[in-house]
Amino acid sequence: MNNAAREAILGSIRSNLSRSVPDETNPVHLENPVILSKKVSSATLVDLFKSNLESVNGHCIIADSEPGVARALTTIISNLQTTNLRAQRIALSDTPSMERIMYMTDLDIEELTITPSATEIFSFDVGISSAQAAIAETGTLVLDSTYERHRLVSLVPPVHIAIVDASRIVETLGEALALLRKDNEISPAVTFITGPSRTADIELTLAIGVHGPQELYVIINGSR
Amino acid sequence: MKVSLFVTCLVDQLWTSIGVSSVEVLRRVGCEVEFDQRQTCCAQPAYNTGYLDEARQVARRFISIFEESHAEAIVSPSGSCTAMVHHYPQLFADDPEWLSRSKSIAAKTHELSSFLVRVLKVEDVGASWSGRLTWHDACHGLRDLNLKSEPRTLIRNVRGAEFVELEHADACCGFGGTFSVKYPEISLAILDQKIEAIERAGVQAVVSGDASCLMQIGGRLSRKGSKVRVMHLAELLAADSRG
Amino acid sequence: MNHLSSETFRENARAALADVHLRGALKNATSLFGERRREAAASLPNWEELRSRARAIKDEALLHLDRYLEEFVRNAESRGARVHWARDAAEANTIICRLATERDARIIVKSKSMTTEETHLNDALEAAGMQVVETDLGEYIIQLAHETPSHIIAPAIHKTRGQIAELFTAELGMPPTDDVAQLTSTARATLRDRFAAADVGISGVNFGIAETGTIVIVENEGNIRLTTSLPRVHIAVMGIEKVVPSFADLDVFLKLLPRSGTGQRLTTYQSFITGTKRRATDEGPEELHIVLLDNGRSRMLAHPVTRQSLACIRCGACLNACPVYQQVGGHAYGSVYPGPIGAVITPQLMGIEKTSQLPYASSLCGACREVCPVKIDIPRLLLHLRGEITAQRKGSAAERLAFKLWARVMMSPLLYRTSSIAGRLLQHIIPISRAWTSGRDLRPIESQSFHDRWKTLQ
Repeated sequence: MNNAAREAILGSIRSNLSRSVPDETNPVHLENPVILSKKVSSATLVDLFKSNLESVNGHCIIADSEPGVARALTTIISNLQTTNLRAQRIALSDTPSMERIMYMTDLDIEELTITPSATEIFSFDVGISSAQAAIAETGTLVLDSTYERHRLVSLVPPVHIAIVDASRIVETLGEALALLRKDNEISPAVTFITGPSRTADIELTLAIGVHGPQELYVIINGSR
Repeated sequence: MKVSLFVTCLVDQLWTSIGVSSVEVLRRVGCEVEFDQRQTCCAQPAYNTGYLDEARQVARRFISIFEESHAEAIVSPSGSCTAMVHHYPQLFADDPEWLSRSKSIAAKTHELSSFLVRVLKVEDVGASWSGRLTWHDACHGLRDLNLKSEPRTLIRNVRGAEFVELEHADACCGFGGTFSVKYPEISLAILDQKIEAIERAGVQAVVSGDASCLMQIGGRLSRKGSKVRVMHLAELLAADSRG
Repeated sequence: MNHLSSETFRENARAALADVHLRGALKNATSLFGERRREAAASLPNWEELRSRARAIKDEALLHLDRYLEEFVRNAESRGARVHWARDAAEANTIICRLATERDARIIVKSKSMTTEETHLNDALEAAGMQVVETDLGEYIIQLAHETPSHIIAPAIHKTRGQIAELFTAELGMPPTDDVAQLTSTARATLRDRFAAADVGISGVNFGIAETGTIVIVENEGNIRLTTSLPRVHIAVMGIEKVVPSFADLDVFLKLLPRSGTGQRLTTYQSFITGTKRRATDEGPEELHIVLLDNGRSRMLAHPVTRQSLACIRCGACLNACPVYQQVGGHAYGSVYPGPIGAVITPQLMGIEKTSQLPYASSLCGACREVCPVKIDIPRLLLHLRGEITAQRKGSAAERLAFKLWARVMMSPLLYRTSSIAGRLLQHIIPISRAWTSGRDLRPIESQSFHDRWKTLQ
């Protein structure tokens, strides 16, 4: 199926390439090491991540344990409940720790569901997931779908709260990419998230909260 | 040092004082200047418009003439014409003999401010001119020859001259050779941005290294009744207290 | 106003120059984008090294494009993707329409893809009876307005908020407001149920990684994530030149693309999609189809000067830097891809017959080359195309004659020295015609040439 087109295209590529002489002004070299910067302490990584996330309108709270994370969640959600973002219907990803932490919170909510379906998810106010890693130099979360069902929870509800271990924060984009490549096979779906969703399509005026969440909270769990 | 002047057809026909000033400046800094009367054009108009055979013809003539010179350098008061000569190897990419000859000529061809500052290491040519002036970065000089600090250094050493940096000094003036003819309205729209910046700068003169830009800018300033005059860098550098 | 032709570029440009709203919008947009790009580039001390690296990676990929494409396909297919090859726009549209109709698709959500603009995919899908919804805010706006994008990354940049507000009121019944936050949330609310209802999601691809078979798509809004995770079927349309050799190469490109396009360190979301879900219970589409499009790209491999056209990563930086684009905007080019990159790839994709004005619509200032993250020498490409146009005699006969005469004069010192002849010829080529004098005064021809004055200088 479609083999004629495949052969035609590959054939066209080969015959056109054979007509061209390599351009001597652009020598091609293959070695492409990941550009790493010097190792910084993990405390510095947390601070770096926090300031970079905040510079793109994300919120960052540092906790020191699971109970600490639960307290942070309580604060965030109860504050949201006083706004028009409601925070009454909460969707969780399916990591076991997520449910455990949720039950440590002292929250008054209407609904708590683990990974609602594609039709249900649109009625939820807040999605809570973990992040498998984070990148300090850009304030970016790395969500790897191999480890958790979080694609819709982290995308559809207007608020996304992500919990990430401090030990999972790397400094550079290059390191994060190398991490993804490290295992046998790269996951079917990996997402990098840097702040809440945004657009500047109307007169280049920044608007936060388009199709993705309009609020992003990251709770860094510093416990070992 | 002995230099051979490549005056450019534009200066030769339409703005001779640029040539005269260039000679004056080069002599003032101790160069012996020769001028090969056989020279005509570097072939830029044909090259830019896509007439490559004609461009090659005229380029070959340029190369042959200047090869015969015993001067150590070929110097030109035009960034775009100098850049054209530097592009000769691209014109002759498929012709090994002319490729090598064009590379040799290109290596010896310098724009005036580049020659003064980078080759002769001269930053002050003893010029004086009083007034407020600004500099327009002509595109080829800026982007093909990397001329940015050299003209500014030379201007800053002109006694009495108050130099102000033009907003978007590196924005194109809109000339582009045949572009100004094929798309005159666009050329004018681009030009008017430059003119607005010049008016905001409140200067008495605009200086540049390319006669083509100066014709474009000067022509518009004059049409608008502006008092701002245009000057080639060579003219500014040749100026002394006698004005 | 829309669907203008490249053949009438000169007239299109004239109309654009007379459009005050457009010129204001363009000035704001291009200067803001340009300023942000400059700052973002300056914030990376190894910016120049990154550009060289990126160009080297692209050169390698293009020099062995067949090999890397085959590797990409092998890896993508081993992970469950179905790959389809399309020789041209029509074939791509046929494949995609067939995939959609076979699956009884009724509603299709799309994220921004210049490649699908190139093939006019939406027209084909609608003709086949499907409803196609553009979900990128800028694309949604122009879809409502029945227009085409005027910028590679900011499709609705030519529209003022007032124009957008009127559009939303007319088409969506939105109460009148021109508050940007309100406009955005109107679009968000309207599109939510389209995402939920869609059978098929169609996206483009920024990079296809040969080493892993991964497709990488970048965005700020979240509509790409929705398009590629909610519907059962995801169709990704990818120009064959988008393939890069290894996953690690993304370190270079993800640093260059957002900074060059919008001045951001990273766009909000990057999606790395490799095949289909592994477990039935996983989220995401059941099917992934990747449509590889040639449509004239392979021809560009034939010459080293044209080959670099394929290095383009569609950042739009050259548009923002171009003095011509800044004045006339994207629609004037009458082509899917406007600006400097458009001026060089459109004639190569569509043939020079109808696009011969475009390579001349440049002053050759080189600002584009300066900002291009992969160092495409656009001025050199423009000159190459001008050479093609004259060699194939698609230029004006009068001009051809003028340059033959010009060469004769320049070859003969005698003819040249007859200064009145040379001077007048010069003024024809840099003409004295109305084109010049309509806006500028001319310097008077001097009575003596420099050749004459030399005698007094010796």
